[in-house]
Amino acid sequence: MRAIRPYRALLRLLPEDLRSRFGHGMEEVFLLRLSNARSPVGKLWVWARAAVDVGAVAAREGWTTMKTTTRGGGMDGWTADLRHATRTLKRSPALTVLVVGTLALGIGTSTATFSVVRAVLLKPLPYAEPDRLVAVWPEQNFNTAMVRDLVAAAPALEAASGVSGWMFTLTGQGEPLQVDGARVSPGHFQLLGVRPTLGRDFRDEEGLPGNDGVAILSHGLWVRAFGADPSVIGSTVDLATNDRPRHTIVGVLPPDFRPVFGRPDVWVPLPLAPSLGLTTDSTWYVSDRVARLAAGASVEQATEQVRAFARDAHAQLDQAIRASSVDVAGVQPLRTHLAGRLGPVLWVALGAVTLVLLIACANVANLLLARGESRHADLSVRAALGAGRERVARLLLVESGLMGVLGGALGIALSFLLVRTAVRLAPSDFPRLGEIAVDPAVLAFGLLATTAATAVAGLIPALRASRAHAAAALAGQGRSASARISSRLATTLVGAQVALALVVVIGSGLMLRSLGSMTSEDPGVDGRGVLVLRPSPPDGRYPSGLAFHAYYDQVLERVRGLPSVESASAIHLLPGTQDNWNFPTFIEGVDIVQGEVIPSVNFRVVWPGYFETVGVPVLLGRSLSVTDDASAELAVIVNQAFVDRYWPGEDPLGRELRLFSTGATPHRVVGVVQDVRQHGLARAPVPEMYFTHAQVTWNMSFWVVARVRADGSPLTAAEDVRAAVWSVDPDVPIGGIDELASVIDQTAATTRFVTVVLGLFGALALLLAAVGVFGVTAYGVSRRIPEFGVRIALGASRSEIVRSALAGSIVATALGLGAGLVAASLSTEALAAALYEVEPTDPLTFGGVAALLLAVAALAALVPAWRAGRVDPVTALRGD
Amino acid sequence: MARVNRPGAEQALAALPLHPHDFRILMALVEGPSFGTEIVRTIEAAEPNTRLYPANLFRRIRDLLERGLLEDSPTPKDADPRRSYVRLTQVGHEVARAEAHRLNELVREAAALDLLPGA
Repeated sequence: MRAIRPYRALLRLLPEDLRSRFGHGMEEVFLLRLSNARSPVGKLWVWARAAVDVGAVAAREGWTTMKTTTRGGGMDGWTADLRHATRTLKRSPALTVLVVGTLALGIGTSTATFSVVRAVLLKPLPYAEPDRLVAVWPEQNFNTAMVRDLVAAAPALEAASGVSGWMFTLTGQGEPLQVDGARVSPGHFQLLGVRPTLGRDFRDEEGLPGNDGVAILSHGLWVRAFGADPSVIGSTVDLATNDRPRHTIVGVLPPDFRPVFGRPDVWVPLPLAPSLGLTTDSTWYVSDRVARLAAGASVEQATEQVRAFARDAHAQLDQAIRASSVDVAGVQPLRTHLAGRLGPVLWVALGAVTLVLLIACANVANLLLARGESRHADLSVRAALGAGRERVARLLLVESGLMGVLGGALGIALSFLLVRTAVRLAPSDFPRLGEIAVDPAVLAFGLLATTAATAVAGLIPALRASRAHAAAALAGQGRSASARISSRLATTLVGAQVALALVVVIGSGLMLRSLGSMTSEDPGVDGRGVLVLRPSPPDGRYPSGLAFHAYYDQVLERVRGLPSVESASAIHLLPGTQDNWNFPTFIEGVDIVQGEVIPSVNFRVVWPGYFETVGVPVLLGRSLSVTDDASAELAVIVNQAFVDRYWPGEDPLGRELRLFSTGATPHRVVGVVQDVRQHGLARAPVPEMYFTHAQVTWNMSFWVVARVRADGSPLTAAEDVRAAVWSVDPDVPIGGIDELASVIDQTAATTRFVTVVLGLFGALALLLAAVGVFGVTAYGVSRRIPEFGVRIALGASRSEIVRSALAGSIVATALGLGAGLVAASLSTEALAAALYEVEPTDPLTFGGVAALLLAVAALAALVPAWRAGRVDPVTALRGD
Repeated sequence: MARVNRPGAEQALAALPLHPHDFRILMALVEGPSFGTEIVRTIEAAEPNTRLYPANLFRRIRDLLERGLLEDSPTPKDADPRRSYVRLTQVGHEVARAEAHRLNELVREAAALDLLPGA
C-alpha cells in the first residue's frame, strides 16, 4: 500500500472531475498492475508505464481544455504559458543553466549506459530466430567428429556448427597479410540464417577432405584486399594452409554480418573423413560450437541430452574429456554466453546511472522548489486574480517542461558523444562492441528518461506552489507556513540524494580498490622496454620442425645484432595472452592411482636467454642454455607454483618428469623460476614447465621478445626489428608488435573500463549531491536572514549562528549516509563478479566513502552557513 | 446492415467504428454491471497480451458515459462503496452489436480475398 501515495500524487496531474470520480478505481487498477509485476525491474516498468499513462491522459485533457479556453479568452492558453515560461527562464539564466545542465548530465549518462546494456544484453543477436541459438558445452574442446555426432545424439538440437579460430596468411596479393579466419561446419551460415550477398554458401559435400578447398570472405576483407571486385568469385587465393594452399573463393558475406566468435575475415570448411570417429579424429581444435534448438525444444532438454552425449564421450576417451568437464556439459543461450561475466556488471552500471539520474531529478526539484518560494508573491497575485490551482500548477509545469525539453535534447546529444568515446575506450574483447550505438530504442529510452525526470522534478514544486492559499499568501502568513513545509521537503530530498550518491560512490570505490589490487600484483616479468612481435611463417613454407626452428635461429641472430637491442629470445605462448597448452605429465614422486586423472601441466617452449630477457629470476639451479641441445639430456625448468604443488618442501633439482606416458624419455629438472601470471593479472599463477626449443622441435610459431637498450624506445626500435625479421624471409607476416608491459596491462582492460565508467558516475553523483546540499543550505540561510539578524542583535555569537545554519543540512546528510550505507551493503553483492580481492562489503571502502561524502557535504553546506554568520543585523532587519 | 429500424440504431451506426479498447470495455459489460479492476481482469483474460493502464481506461469509461453508451449503476450492497459501477445502456448494447457485425463483415471480405488460409 506504500506505493499508493506517490501514485496519488501523480494523479493530481489529471483534471479534478476525472480524478474525483474515478480516482479510487485508478488506484485499484494500478495496484493490480503492480501486484502482477514480480521482479523489481517489472515494478519499475509498471511505474514508468503508469507515469506515461497519466501524462498522456493529462496532456490530452489539457489540450481539450486549452482548445475551449483559448476560444473564449485569448491569452489564457498554453501558448501564453509557454511564452511566459521562456521569459522567466531568460530572466534567471544561472538557474536555467544549472537545471538544464543537471538534467542533461543525468539523461546523457543514463541514455549512453542504456545503449551499451541494450547492445550487449537486450538486443537480439543479428541472426535468424536468435532465441533458438545456443552455445554448446563451451568448457570443452571438441574434435570435428564430435560436432558431427552431436546432432544425432541430441535431437533437441536441430543443427550444430563447430567453429575453430584460425590464422591465415594471404600471400600473392602484395605484402603478405595475416588475417583472422575460422574453420566452420559447412552448415554454419545456414544455421545462422545468413546468406552470402555475392556467390554462394558452403555445400554439405565441402565438409569432405578433398572438396574443402573453398573459402568465404567477409565484406570488409573483400573491400580491403580485393578492391570490392565481384569477379573474385571463382578465383583462387593462397591461404597458405598446410594441407591445401589454394582455395577457391565461393562467396562474400553481407556488410552487416557479425561473426559469432572472434573477428574472422575468412571462413573455410572444417573437413572430416566419414570413416573417422570420436577416438580416431585428431582435430581437437574445435573450440566453439553454436547450435540451433529444434522447434519447441528447451534449453533444459538440450542440456540433458548434451550431458548424456558428454558422459558417453568420456566413457570412450577419458584422456581428452575429463569427468570434471562432463559435470558442466550443457547448452546455454548464445546471448548469455557471449555477454559472459560482463552481464551482471552492466546491470550494476545501469542501476548506478539510474541512481545518478534520480539524484539529478532531486537536485532539479530542489532548485525549482527554492525558486518557487521566491516567486511566491507573483504566484499569489495570480491566484488572487482568479487563476485556479490547476492553472498555477500548469504554469510551473510548462516551465519545468521547457527546461526538460532543453535538458533532454542536450542530454541525448551528450549520449552520442559518450557512446562514441566509450566504444573507442572499450577493450577490444568487449562483447558485441560493434553493435553499441544510439538507435531508435535507445532514443526512446532517452525520451522516456527525459519525460520521467521532468515529471518527477517539476511535479513536486508545482504541487507545492499550487497549494499555497492565495489570501493567506497575500496577507504575508502563508509564506512562512508553506516555506516550512517546502524546507522539510527539500531536506528530505537532500537526504535521499546523499543516500543515492553514497551507493554509487561506494560502487566506484570498490572497483577502484579492485583495479588497485589487480595492477599491484606482480606479473612476474619485467615487461617494460621489452618489444614483442610474432613472425608467423605460413604453414608449409618450412616443411619440418627443424626448418622452422632454423628460421627462428636466423631471426634471433639478426635481431640480437641490432645496436638498439640488448638481448633477444623467443617463447611460443606469450604471457598476457589467453593461449594455453597443457599436457598430461607423470611427475616423479606423484603416484597415479588407477582410474584417477593424470595431472595436466601448462607447457611452454622457450629459447635460451628467455628468462633473462623478460626479467624472470631463476630461483634455484640454472637457466636453459644453448648446450641443452638435441644431443644433451632432456632438461626442464619448473616454476615455484609447480614445486609448491607437487614437491612441497622437497628439493626439485634433478627430479624427473615424463610427458604423455610413463614410458617416455624423462626430462630432468635443472632449475626453478619465479611464477609468471601468464593469463593476466587477475589469475593466480599455476604450475608450469618450460622446455627448450632444441629438445621439442615441433612445427610451431614463436613470439620474439627483445629487450631494447635503456636509452632507446621500444617503438622506435620496432622498425629495426621488423626489418631484421623480413631480411630473413620477406614472405613471413608479422603480427602483434607491442611492448610486453602493455600486453600484460591489457589483461586488466575490462576491469579498468568498468572502473572508469563507474568512477565517472561516482564523480557525477558526488558533484550533484554537493550541489544539492549547497543549494538547500543556501536557500535555508537566505530564508532565515531576518531570524539571524534578530539573534545577532540579541547577542548570539557568529559561531552559534553558523552552527544553527549548518544543523539542518548535517542532520539530513547524516540520515542520508545511514540509509545509503544500508542500501549499499544490500546492493554491492551484484558487483562481486567484477571485484578482485576486495569484499563487496569492504569496510574500508564503505567507511572511506561515507567520510568523503560527509566532508564534501559539510564543505558544501559551510560556504552558505559562513555567510549566515556575517549577516549584518541592521540590514537584515530592514529587509523584511 | 439491415437493422436500421431498431431503437437507437442510428446513433449506434454513427458511433462506428469503435476504438478497439472501447469495444473491449463494452464487451466486458455485456454480462452485467461491473467496475474498474473487474473490467480490466475480464479484458486481459480474453486478450492476455493487452495491458490496460488506469488513466486511459477511466478516461475512456468517462467518454463512453458522456456518449450515452454506458450509465452509472448502483453499487451492490456488499461491495466497497467507493467503487463506481457502470453498465451498458440500450444504445451501448446496440453499438456493441453493430460493431460486432461490422467486424464480421470485414472478416468475411478478408476471407474472400484469401487472407485467412485454413479458416
